Amino acid sequence: MSFDAPAQRALDTLTARGGQYGEIRFESNRTERIEARNGIVATLSDSTSRGYGIRAMVDGAWGFAASSDISDTGIDRTAARAVEIAKAGAAIVRGKTAALAPARAYVDTFATPIGRDPRDIPLGDRVALLLEAEKALHVAQEIRVGRAWIDIWTTDKFFYSSIGSRIQQSIRQTGSGIEAMAVGESDVQTRTFPGDIGLYKSGGWEVVEQAKLRENAPRIGEEAAALLRAPQCPSGTFDIILGGSQVSLQIHESCGHPAELDRVMGWEANFSGVSFLEINELGKLKYGSDLVNIVIDNTLPEGLATVGYDDEGTKSVVSDIIRDGVLVGYEMSNETAQMIGRQSNACVRAESWEYVPMIRMCNLNLLPGDTPFEHIFDDVRDGIYMESNRSWSIDDHRLNFQFGCEIAWEVKNGKLGRMVKNPTYGGITPQFWNSCDAIADKNSWTAWGTPNCGKGEPIQTGRTAQCAAPARFRNVAVGVGYRE
Amino acid sequence: MNSPDREAVAERALEYSTAEQTEIGVYYSHSELTRFTHNYVHQNVAASDVAVRVRAIVGKRTGVASTNALDDESLQAVVTQAIEMANLAPEDPDLVRLPSGGPVQTPPGAYIQETADAAPRLRAEMCDAMFKQAEQRDYWCAGFVSTADSGITILNSSGARASFDGTDASLNVKINAPDSTGYAEAYDNDVTRIDAAAVGKRAADKARDSAKPESVDPGEWTVILEPAAFGELFIYLSHHFSAQAFDEGSSFLSDGLDRQYLGDNVTILDDFEHPLAPGMPFDYEGQPTERLELVAKGIGKTVVTDSYWAHKLNRPNTGHALPGPNAYGPQARNLVVSPGSKPMNELIAETRRGLLISRFWYIRPVDQKKAIVTGMTRDGTFLIKDGEIAGGVHNLRFNQSIIESLRDCEFGNSLHRTGSYSYSVVVPAAKINNFRFSSGTSF
Repeated sequence: MSFDAPAQRALDTLTARGGQYGEIRFESNRTERIEARNGIVATLSDSTSRGYGIRAMVDGAWGFAASSDISDTGIDRTAARAVEIAKAGAAIVRGKTAALAPARAYVDTFATPIGRDPRDIPLGDRVALLLEAEKALHVAQEIRVGRAWIDIWTTDKFFYSSIGSRIQQSIRQTGSGIEAMAVGESDVQTRTFPGDIGLYKSGGWEVVEQAKLRENAPRIGEEAAALLRAPQCPSGTFDIILGGSQVSLQIHESCGHPAELDRVMGWEANFSGVSFLEINELGKLKYGSDLVNIVIDNTLPEGLATVGYDDEGTKSVVSDIIRDGVLVGYEMSNETAQMIGRQSNACVRAESWEYVPMIRMCNLNLLPGDTPFEHIFDDVRDGIYMESNRSWSIDDHRLNFQFGCEIAWEVKNGKLGRMVKNPTYGGITPQFWNSCDAIADKNSWTAWGTPNCGKGEPIQTGRTAQCAAPARFRNVAVGVGYRE
Repeated sequence: MNSPDREAVAERALEYSTAEQTEIGVYYSHSELTRFTHNYVHQNVAASDVAVRVRAIVGKRTGVASTNALDDESLQAVVTQAIEMANLAPEDPDLVRLPSGGPVQTPPGAYIQETADAAPRLRAEMCDAMFKQAEQRDYWCAGFVSTADSGITILNSSGARASFDGTDASLNVKINAPDSTGYAEAYDNDVTRIDAAAVGKRAADKARDSAKPESVDPGEWTVILEPAAFGELFIYLSHHFSAQAFDEGSSFLSDGLDRQYLGDNVTILDDFEHPLAPGMPFDYEGQPTERLELVAKGIGKTVVTDSYWAHKLNRPNTGHALPGPNAYGPQARNLVVSPGSKPMNELIAETRRGLLISRFWYIRPVDQKKAIVTGMTRDGTFLIKDGEIAGGVHNLRFNQSIIESLRDCEFGNSLHRTGSYSYSVVVPAAKINNFRFSSGTSF
C-alpha cells in the first residue's frame, strides 16, 4: 500500500497555507485482546483504527491535526487545520520558540522480526490456552478471581516529511499474563505473572510461549492464597533484593521519566512534573553506583519499543543515559536535542495516528552485572527479597518514591526465609541507586515491557521497555505505608 | 458527527447482522488542546474520529469487533468479523439478553455549542490571559486549555436506542516562582463560563503565598484538602461501588450493605444530572442510568450494576455498564460528595495547627481492601497556625486509608467539579483529622 499521493497532497496544502515544515504519518492500528476471567472469556475483541496526523511548523510554533477522513477534502481540511493551529500559537509567542525542524531525511523500511506469526495460531487455540491457564490458578478456595490474557498489536506506519523522508514500518508487539486474586477476612492479595503486568515484547506468538502461563499458574495461585496467611513484612532499614520486573519498574519511574529532556525543560511541568536531572548536572551528577549503566537501545530486537525510526523520522540508535553511575545523556527529540547542542536519539513516539509525537523512554535498559542470581543473596545478613510491583508512586521531581510489591521473602544470612506480605520500600532516587552493590548477570536479564506508560496532555499511552536483571540495594527503608 | 448521523450508521450496521443478538456502538470524538510552558505554546493539537463497535451474540457466545471505516463494505465486514469471533468463543452460561433500554433525557447544559465550535484562537487568548498573570510577577507558567465535543449512540437488537452529545472545556495552570509553585484549574461543559485570567491569578497568588517554603515533620496532621486534592483522593474509592468488587470481596462494602462504614456526615451520590457535571444519561449498553445514593449518612446503601451483574446478584440494573463484555465490571461514572455547612475559610479558621493542600500527585493504592493509598502533595502546600495561613511548606508523602479519612472529616459548603484525563467528580473541600504523612522532600 502506498500513501504517496495523499501525503503529497497534505504537504502541498500545508505549504500553500503557510507551513514552513510539515510531516504526515498514516497509521493502521490493530488491537486483538482475549481475556479469560473466572472460567469465561470476558473479552474477545478485534479492533482496527486507521487515520493520519499532520504536524506543521509556522514561525516557531507547532500545530498538529489528526483525522480518519482520508478523502481529498479530509486531507485538505486537516492540513489547513494544522497550519491554523500553529499560527494561533505563533500569535502569542513571546520571543522564545519551540519548533525546530529535523535535520535529515530518510527513505527506508522496517519490519519487526517475528519468530511465529500470531495469524498462524487459530483463535480457538489462543482461547483454549487462556482458559486452561486461568483454570490452573484456582488451586485454593480463597482464589476468588483468576485472569489470563493475550494482547496482539499490529501497527503499520507510513511517514512523509517536507524535507523528503518516506519511511514505511511494520511493527508487531505481543504480550500475555496471568493473575490470581485471593480474598480472606479483611484482606485481598494478588499475584501476577510474569512480572507485574505480564510479558510484553516486540515479536509474535513466541512471546506468549516464552511466558509459560500454564506451567506457572498453579504456583501463582498457591502464592496468592499463601499470602493471606503470611506475616506482615517487617518495617525498618534493610538490604533489599528486587526481582527483575521490579528493577524494570524502578528504572522506568526513577530514571526513564526524569531523563526525558522535554520534562527537564519544563514541558510537562503542569502534569507529569519536572526533573531533578537538570541540564547543568549533565556529566557531573553521580546518579548511581559505578555498577549502574543505563542505555537507550531502540535497536534491540525483542524490546517492546523497538522501531526502525521514531515518529519524527529519526533512525533508531543506542545511546548512554547513565555511564558508570554518572548522568551522561537524555531521551531526546530533534528540537530538544538541538537546544542542548546534541542530536536526537530517536525517542519520539505517538500512541497512534491521532496523537502528537512526544518524547518517550522507549527501550531504557540497565546493563547486566556479573553476579549470578543465585549468589545475589550472599553477604546479606538481614534482608528482604521482593517481586512483582503492586503499587508505585514518585514525586513530580522524581526524587521521593515509594513502591510496593506483591510478594517478598526474608533473607537471613544469605538464605531465603519465610514469605511476608505487603512489602513496601521507599527512598530518594540518587541515594537509592548509589546503594546498588550487585546486579545479576545476563542469564537473568529480561526485556521487560511496559505497555501502559502514561504521559502528556492529552494523555498518551506509551509502550516502553526497561530490560533488567535482579539487583541488590543496601540500607533501604522498608515497610513504609503500613501503621505499626 | 451528530446523533441522527450516528444513528443512521448504527442502523446500517445492525441491518447487516445475522446474529441472535447484536449491539452497535457509534462513538464520535473531537478534541482540541493547547499546551504551554515558560509562557509560550509548545504543543497545539486537534483530533477527530468516529468508531463503530459491534458486539455479536450467538447463543451464549460473544464476539466484539470495531473499526473507524464507515463505508458499507467496512461496516459489513466488521459485523461479520464480530459474528465469526462469537462462533469461535466458548459459552458463558451466565450471559443474559441485551437490555431493552428505555427513555433517556440528556440533562440541561451537557452540550454547549460555543465549546464545540471553539477555535484555536480562543484557546490561545485564554493561554495569553494566564501568561499575563505569570508575567506580572516575573513567574512562568505551564498548563493547558482544552475543548472537546463527543457523541455516543448505542443501538441493539433488544430495542435499546440511545444517543448523547456532550461538550467539555477544561484548563489548568501551574505557576512557577523561584522557590514555590501554585496550581489552579477549571472544568465546565461551557467554555464561556471559564475565566482564564481568574484561574491564572489564583495560581499566581498561591505561588506567591507559598514562597520560601519551610520543612515540617511528617506524622499525623489535620489537613484541609481543596476540592482538586480531595477529588483526586476520593476517586480511588470509585471501584469499591462496583457490584463486581462488592461480590468478589475487594470492596470496603463487601461485608454487606446497610452498615455504617463512614462518618454520619458522609453522603455519596452517583448523579449524571448534577448541574456542575451534566453527563450521559445511559450506559454503554444503552440502559438508562439511575441516579443513586451509594452512601447515605455513612451507611453503605447500594452498588452500581450492569446487565450481567444485575442478573448475577439478582439486583436491579442501574445502567452503569462499560462497553461489554469486559473484565472490569460496572463503574460509577458521576460521583458527587454532598457538601457540609461551613465555607472552607471557616474550616481553616477552626484549625489550630494543620496543612492546607492544593493538589495531590501520583496517588496509588497500597492496600486494596483497606483503601490505603500513597501519594505526594504538590503546587501549593501551606502551614496553618492558629487558624491562619502561615506560609508555604515543602511537599510531603502520605500513606492514608481513604475510609479512615471519611470517618473523621468535615466538608466545605460549596461543591466544585474537578478531574483529570481519567475521571470527573463533584466534591467539596474536606477537613480530615489524623492524616498520616510518612516522609518529605526538599522542594
